[in-house]
Amino acid sequence: DALLGCHRSYRSRPTHGIGKFKYLLPKEAPKKRKEKVQMKEISAGTEYQYGDVNIQMTSYDLCLVEHFAQYVHRLCNRLSIRVNESYAMPTKTNEVLFLEEKGSKMQLDAVLTTHQRVVQIRGLSSTFAPILLEIIQSNQPEGVHLLVKQHTEADFKSRLKSRPELEELLAQMS
Amino acid sequence: PCRAQPKKKKKVDVKKEQAQKERMKKRIKKLEKAAPELIPIEDFITPLKYSESNRVRSLPALSPEESERRVLLLKKWCLFKQKQDEAEKTAIKALVASQQEALKELRLESEELYQAAIRRDEGLFPFERDGPSYTPPLPGYDPPEGKCVDITKVYTQ
Repeated sequence: DALLGCHRSYRSRPTHGIGKFKYLLPKEAPKKRKEKVQMKEISAGTEYQYGDVNIQMTSYDLCLVEHFAQYVHRLCNRLSIRVNESYAMPTKTNEVLFLEEKGSKMQLDAVLTTHQRVVQIRGLSSTFAPILLEIIQSNQPEGVHLLVKQHTEADFKSRLKSRPELEELLAQMS
Repeated sequence: PCRAQPKKKKKVDVKKEQAQKERMKKRIKKLEKAAPELIPIEDFITPLKYSESNRVRSLPALSPEESERRVLLLKKWCLFKQKQDEAEKTAIKALVASQQEALKELRLESEELYQAAIRRDEGLFPFERDGPSYTPPLPGYDPPEGKCVDITKVYTQ
């Protein structure tokens, strides 16, 4: 039985590689390993160029903020300013309660969501910076709050999840 | 007679403390191995209730005049927007050109001032500006008392 069930094909024989079929199937993409979220280096910038600059747009209206962020991104592309990344910060939800006129109970007025988008640029020259700010300001839509500041490690860390266990253990150690 | 017992206690305590410290270090190493994750953004996750329903909106049929009017309006809007964009681009170019000319003149005037002007402005950042509002704030408006409660979901790893 074992002799009859043997499927060995010799390399010189024409039946070599008779059972192979994987070469006919379309190639699968290699399994994506989860890329570790690492902080990219923050450049300080030279005397005539600013380093990493964050343009943060905040508003209650999601569509306006998204469209404005896209506009700023495309503007930077057009003016050949290097855009490092363009990401969204987590949304904050606020419940607005107000005191009724006749009564002591707080009544729920509305639930507001604050959205924030960030466009990070690098290599902004010192002469061009005020012009860029002027353009962005003149095209600012209603209710969108603009904030332009330099990128710091704290800004990056605010995007990550908090790890209370690790912090507890580190506090206990020291 | 009293010596043997305290000595034993000290040894056992020290060993226990060392074992505890090692266990904590191992736990810290394990936690640190896991890479920090980004907070998921609720904007990009469509809530399920919008994808489950099967109801479809049926729009009314447009008359040919109406559709023609809409197409012509769209074309006019496109032209208007194009002119606006062109005007903006020319404005930017004019700004840059005038700035370069001013810097050239300044250079001819004095080298020191030119170098000082080229340097970056530290007082520029951080720059904050509120967008224009639809209606200006009413003078003498007395808002009702209330408070804001932050109910953002806190994600922990």
